[in-house]
Amino acid sequence: MHQIYYIESNQLNILSRKLKKDYRVFFPVTEEKNATKKTDYSYRELTVNEPFVFNPYRTVEPLKTFFTPPLDKAAEYFNQEGSIEDFPKIIIFGVKSCDIVGHKVQDFVFLEGVEVDSLYRLRRENIIFISSDCTDFKEVCHCLAWEILPYPTEGFDLNLSPLNEGYLVETGSKKGEELIQQYKEFFVIAKDTQLTARKVKRENLIERLKKHLLPQHLVSKDIVQRLIKEGYNLDTWQQFMLTCVECGGCNFICDTCHCFLLMDKKEGNINKKLKAWDACLYTNYAKVAGGANPLKTRTRRLRFRFTKKFDFFVDNLGMPACCGCGRCIEVCPGKIDIREVLKDLAKKLSVKT
Amino acid sequence: MKNIYKPQEAIVEDIIVESSTIKTFVLRLKEPFEFRTGQFVELTLPGIGEAPFTPSSDPNIKNKIEVTIMNVGRVTSLLHTSPKNISLGLRGPYGKGYPLDRFEGKDILIVGGGVGLAPLRSLLFSMFAEIDKYNKVVLRYGARTPDDIIYKESIPGWAKIKKVDVVTTVDVGDAKWKGNVGLVTTILKDLPVDLKNAVSIVCGPPIMMKFATLKLLDFGFKPQDIFLSMEKNMSCGLGKCGHCRMGRYYVCKDGPVFTYEQLKELHDIWD
Repeated sequence: MHQIYYIESNQLNILSRKLKKDYRVFFPVTEEKNATKKTDYSYRELTVNEPFVFNPYRTVEPLKTFFTPPLDKAAEYFNQEGSIEDFPKIIIFGVKSCDIVGHKVQDFVFLEGVEVDSLYRLRRENIIFISSDCTDFKEVCHCLAWEILPYPTEGFDLNLSPLNEGYLVETGSKKGEELIQQYKEFFVIAKDTQLTARKVKRENLIERLKKHLLPQHLVSKDIVQRLIKEGYNLDTWQQFMLTCVECGGCNFICDTCHCFLLMDKKEGNINKKLKAWDACLYTNYAKVAGGANPLKTRTRRLRFRFTKKFDFFVDNLGMPACCGCGRCIEVCPGKIDIREVLKDLAKKLSVKT
Repeated sequence: MKNIYKPQEAIVEDIIVESSTIKTFVLRLKEPFEFRTGQFVELTLPGIGEAPFTPSSDPNIKNKIEVTIMNVGRVTSLLHTSPKNISLGLRGPYGKGYPLDRFEGKDILIVGGGVGLAPLRSLLFSMFAEIDKYNKVVLRYGARTPDDIIYKESIPGWAKIKKVDVVTTVDVGDAKWKGNVGLVTTILKDLPVDLKNAVSIVCGPPIMMKFATLKLLDFGFKPQDIFLSMEKNMSCGLGKCGHCRMGRYYVCKDGPVFTYEQLKELHDIWD
């Protein structure tokens, strides 16, 4: 059962500094000084006496960077077992509901299946998520279209909901509950009136988000796989491909994209296998020795990205691999908008959205 | 906890020249290693790169495997110029391999093209070892030229094994070649198999697999009785890196052997 506590803002400031003794603490920061201006947030490690910053919506970078960095050492081979890597304990503040849903996909890929990726698992075990409710959204945000709420309901260790001069803190895991117990002097049990206030705030944001999203007539979870299957041969792919510059930005910024390439490297006498992020929008992504390339055109590669998200993962994980964070929309220099691609399929297939 | 990306060491004990572009590498393994026929491994040229191959040897032989490799890419061209006794990295085995239990008591038609005979040789060895389990084994093999035929010395011997029937062909013959000339599909006629109790197994270049499959369907094989070895860009071998996805499958973990029934609804499978 999730337990809910309350902590005052100034206490959270003190606590986050205390946590630095046992953990590397990351939280979202912004360069924007004007608090009323809409801005971007990105994770940074907490240094000395910085005050805790609350991000009203998700960060720029995806959560996966903490588990699978862009270039990672996967293994050393043919030498005596090298030094066992030290896994720092990490606390990440400011994780949002979309990130948590997106992260289910990463967990599915690296923790399940034929074998477990042990490096990923060790990192995972040493990371604590302190998520928080969204109190605002970006233009590109569309979590609700995928039936994802703008506040987490599971998958977090602790979740913060801002309230007056402090935060309600909900426990979501044993790790989270233990953290509270360790620092229990900072917390009091939340009152019913506070819980009601949280409910009202959450409902208000959902209403605002609905007002933003309803006029967009976005494609919903229950029809998206059908659109992808039936729309396989439509000219949508060719049309949207025209502005794709194959930068791979949509892949790299995506919280659910997980593709990587194993590479070999020699450093001194040590042979290393490296794991480098790869992108299905890249020309050689699927190319085999001998030259055959099933994804030889940009049209095919763009479609591949969509079939992976909305067909493959629906079949294999039971959910589409899109959390509506909209990061790919912001990053794309060709202004390819995932919402518009799906809507175009629906329109051409005369499916009501 | 096991690191799934770390290869074990394998010593290249011997290198056998099969054709001007194909060599068989005999690998001795330092740690115990077993595979099922049709499964594949990832071979690493230390510090250089890694590529997927299906062993061509008898899976009943432990701690030694043979891998027949065509010189077609960055890693394979360097492998071809490597001397004996070097160390290679080996990960695997990966994938599901051939479902031998489904082949028992049946007429087995094996269709190979070029270096595609390599995984099939491993399958043939498995079957030869327990030939009584199968009704008959029919091999139809095509290569581009007489030089491109691999296992040249062995094939005549296979044909002498009881219940085994072998026909070969080349796309283009030469002065010495007395055998069939024509694509492998030209020897897929008057097949001595009873369709009511037969399976077919195809491995070769994509274009050959496509036309062989069409021919077999035409001949009357059901999609669920045609087994295909798919080739994709397998990097991790474990369904994590994403590269070898075909529709709802990863070739590395769901294959590399699929029935045509599994693939027939998917798009662009032969590309």
